[in-house]
Amino acid sequence: MSLDKTIKGLKTSFSKELSKSKSSQDLENLRIKYLGRNGQLASLFEEFNKLPAPEKPRFGKELNILKNQLTDQYQNALGSNSENSASSDVDFSLPGYDLPDGNIHPLEQITSEIKSIFQSIGFSVAYGPEIDDDYHNFEALNVPKHHPARDMQDTFFINPNAVLRTHTSNVQIHLMENQDPPLRHICCGRVYRNEAVSYKSFCLFNQVEGLVINETSSFAEMKGTLEYFVQEMFGKDTKMRFRPSYFPFTEPSAEVDIWNSKLNQWMEILGCGMVNPNVLSNVGYDNEKYQGFAFGMGIERIAMIKYGIKDIRLFYQNDKRFLEQF
Amino acid sequence: MKVSLHWLRRFVDFDFTATELAEKLTMRGFESEVVSDFDSLENLVVGDVLTAEKHPDADKLKLCSVSDGSETFSVVCGAPNVDAGQKIVFAKVGAVLPGDFKIGKAKIRGVESFGMICSERELGISEEHDGIMVLDESHKAGTPIKEVLGPLFNAIDIEVTPDKAFALSHRGIAREVATIVGCKLKTPINSVKLNPKSKDVVSVELDKKGGCTRYIAGTMKGVKVGPSPKWLAEYLKSVGQKSINNLVDISNFMLLEIGHPTHVFDLKKLAKPGIKVSWAKMGEKFDALDEETYELSTDHMVITDTKNTVALAGIIGGMDSSVTDSTSEVLIESAYFDPVVIRKGSKKLNLLSEASRRFERGTDPNAALEAFNMIVQLMQEVAGGTLESVITDECSMSLDNTSVDLSSEKLLKYAGQEIPSKDVESILKGLHIDAKKTKTGWKCSIPTFRTDLKVETDLIEEVFRCYGYDNIKSSFNYSSIMQYANDEESTISSLKHHLSSLGFHQSYNNSLEDVEEVKLFGKDAVSVMNPSSERMNTLRTTLHSGLLKNLDFNYRNGSANTLIYEYGTIFEGKTDKLEDIIQKSSLSCLVHGDVFSKNVHFDSIPASFAFLKGVASNIFEDKRLGIKVKFSEQKHHYCDPYFSIIDGKKQVIGGLGIIKDSLLKQLDIAHKHEVVVLDVDPEIFTDYGSYSTKVEDIVTFPIVQRDLNFKMDSSIQVGEVVKTMKSVNQSILQNVIPVDIYQSKKDTSTKDVLFSLNFQSPKKTLEDNDVNAIITEIINIVSKKFNAKLRDN
Repeated sequence: MSLDKTIKGLKTSFSKELSKSKSSQDLENLRIKYLGRNGQLASLFEEFNKLPAPEKPRFGKELNILKNQLTDQYQNALGSNSENSASSDVDFSLPGYDLPDGNIHPLEQITSEIKSIFQSIGFSVAYGPEIDDDYHNFEALNVPKHHPARDMQDTFFINPNAVLRTHTSNVQIHLMENQDPPLRHICCGRVYRNEAVSYKSFCLFNQVEGLVINETSSFAEMKGTLEYFVQEMFGKDTKMRFRPSYFPFTEPSAEVDIWNSKLNQWMEILGCGMVNPNVLSNVGYDNEKYQGFAFGMGIERIAMIKYGIKDIRLFYQNDKRFLEQF
Repeated sequence: MKVSLHWLRRFVDFDFTATELAEKLTMRGFESEVVSDFDSLENLVVGDVLTAEKHPDADKLKLCSVSDGSETFSVVCGAPNVDAGQKIVFAKVGAVLPGDFKIGKAKIRGVESFGMICSERELGISEEHDGIMVLDESHKAGTPIKEVLGPLFNAIDIEVTPDKAFALSHRGIAREVATIVGCKLKTPINSVKLNPKSKDVVSVELDKKGGCTRYIAGTMKGVKVGPSPKWLAEYLKSVGQKSINNLVDISNFMLLEIGHPTHVFDLKKLAKPGIKVSWAKMGEKFDALDEETYELSTDHMVITDTKNTVALAGIIGGMDSSVTDSTSEVLIESAYFDPVVIRKGSKKLNLLSEASRRFERGTDPNAALEAFNMIVQLMQEVAGGTLESVITDECSMSLDNTSVDLSSEKLLKYAGQEIPSKDVESILKGLHIDAKKTKTGWKCSIPTFRTDLKVETDLIEEVFRCYGYDNIKSSFNYSSIMQYANDEESTISSLKHHLSSLGFHQSYNNSLEDVEEVKLFGKDAVSVMNPSSERMNTLRTTLHSGLLKNLDFNYRNGSANTLIYEYGTIFEGKTDKLEDIIQKSSLSCLVHGDVFSKNVHFDSIPASFAFLKGVASNIFEDKRLGIKVKFSEQKHHYCDPYFSIIDGKKQVIGGLGIIKDSLLKQLDIAHKHEVVVLDVDPEIFTDYGSYSTKVEDIVTFPIVQRDLNFKMDSSIQVGEVVKTMKSVNQSILQNVIPVDIYQSKKDTSTKDVLFSLNFQSPKKTLEDNDVNAIITEIINIVSKKFNAKLRDN
């Protein structure tokens, strides 16, 4: 019977103390005293364990009710307490979690942007080896050995017949060797030039090249395609011009400049031209039947223009203070 | 190539300023930059140096008073040659010199200076910068400089592409200018018939194997070496070249005038007045005009006087036979050499000359005779000699125009629009191409100076170029239904974005590294034969090397926390043969420091092995891959420990490890915590695209959670315990998670591990009994297998 009393007494003293508890610290003390692991309720349960079996069901029920009541009362008090004192206890002015901030490299961002512009007009993307034989990098592209055009691209040699590709055009050759027209592809990847490293040139850079071969693609279509690209990439109002140039693998060839109104000058952004018939015959295409155009651009150059970057080496230094800006 | 407007006007009349000309030529395919355009220079006048005294506060400076005719200015000048009484080029305050060099008021060593006295280099005239440019006394102070220097020194720089050999001279460029203004080319030197004084003949013998297919030679006597006349020196000066003496100047002048290289030998230094063109002997030594000695090989074509080598054909003359101040008799050579022979020869010696640059691009065989005649005429006029011998002209090549057909259909197909026939014809005519109308188009007779026009597309390019690319209207006809645009790397791209959203920075590192560093990573590396620097002579065999450099760089710049990755190609090769070289795409991550730094909310979360292991599971156990990975410990060259990541098919698809301190030390990588790397084989992601989602039913029955706390030997691997627990039941035991490990400081031989077990059945609400049986079994097995003891909760 004494247990009955104890239950009642506990109930009353708990309520009394609860009504006096003001701060959350008071409440916590109360919780420990009554509901804690070594609290009064716990010792009641211990006593309960000592009871003879027949008495257990009744007191078990009572104790459970008591436990629920006290817990509920405590929870309610805690709830109203935290509602009242929310602004005083939690400092909402603290900064939120500083989540790690990752990024995609600026060159990758530009590449993706270029890819998606061309994918939107049906270009597939092709890849190929960075080390290739002389044939795929030069000869098949109408750059014979001992031709002055070889000076246009300073080359790293792996052996006398294998080079670090100087452009991604080798991918175009592989593509045409394995596939019949029509073709509408871009190729992208790293290319290498044996040039002194400085703020404006690096020993490698990234390129995107395009190739369209079918029975009708003309110079006019090349212009239309590249105008679309420039407008998508640099904005609808971008002023651009095509001017004649020379590449061994295209004829007629052109270079595309866009107007930089800040610097008040033309800036070269890509080269293009009608695919030289020799290139087509080298891969076994009928160059009377098929024609088309090709173009190529350097990603670093475009990124430098777009982001106002003055030193190309920044792209390969991976300074967090640089990367975090993208 | 520097081109003088003054010189161009020998051939063609035009009104363009240098700036306008550069623009017009650029749009014709001759990329041009202005070197000096005096017409555009303001505030530049003839100045009169009234006084020039020592600067009060500097030994090497002078304080001058300069008059512009109406006012006098105080100017500080550093040139040693400035003197009172000189007429000079005076840049007033506000002038902008070539190279965007703005002249403002300046205080130099305490003295105010109002303007500048210019050197030739500052004006873009030549490289002369040792002193100021002194003008002729006849000029009046105050005269705008454009009137004084403009006529002579307006110049542009043209980048002539390798195909346009015909444009490597003033006449070549003038031809182009003539087509722009639509006028005829003038002939500044009229060819007259040359009559030799004697009947002497210079014998010329060509090699039968080719290489040299035309050689014209003749001798002159009574030549007097001396200074060049003013007009000749001025032309050379207009392109920034110094006058040396009349003989040398004439040869240089001819090269720049019509683009055909010639050579003048001192006749008295030749064994006899005879020439034999042949191939060099292997290892033959040759003393060239540039005072270098070259070792020749059998690829080199040489000119001999039948006894000795006197010139390296088409590249450079010999020292011993060169003209000097005492020369009075000369042998003049004007020849045609095979472009490939000259190219090979010059490349082999790494010796480029003005002559070789022209021969290797292809010269006009007819210009050989023209150049010879002109040079003799000029010599007679300037150096006073007379033609002695009969002109020998050994020629085994065709000197006729070639013929190329241009079809109007092809032109239309290429352009994508009609170019009117009359435009085509007038363009061709302007280019000195005689075009005869045929049924299908035109039969074009190509002049020999256009060595670049061989096939139909060459002509199409000429037509487009002159018609104007701007005049070809663009067309855009991509329909809305496009062929399927495929990109095998699109899945890698989503992986990159995934990593970035986890907080990783993407790196782009140089593929070329130092062989000594590459070696440390212990693979067969591929090297470059001709590196630009020893620091970049070998291709990377792993992405780790670059990522470590990034860690080091950022650590030293104040950022210890590094989460980076790179996707790129790595290279390996047992030999340098292409078929032995493996080049494959690779993706690696590197972490160091903290993912989250300690802050007001919680303690730091380190970028540890466990973090990167979590990243690995997160990447590989992507639903779209359907891979369950295992980590299997392996020996590794520079990681300890290192775990291969293995998929269900037992294929290695990645790796995870901690970089050994020894490597970090060797590479001197700044760090303070463990450096962990993760490799991911990108190939497995190419199947990503084929995954199609099948939704599983959501289990709505409640999850039953139980905790088990075991005391076990410290050496026991918790992962093994988890594996064992999981093996007990695979139907309702959903997961086992180690939630706490406790090791008392007193007894380090054991540890307490708290496991949380989740049970759920897809079929029913679990009863205690369902779970208890499994729990009991787990306790039994774990207790036995690991000698672990269940602890009370």
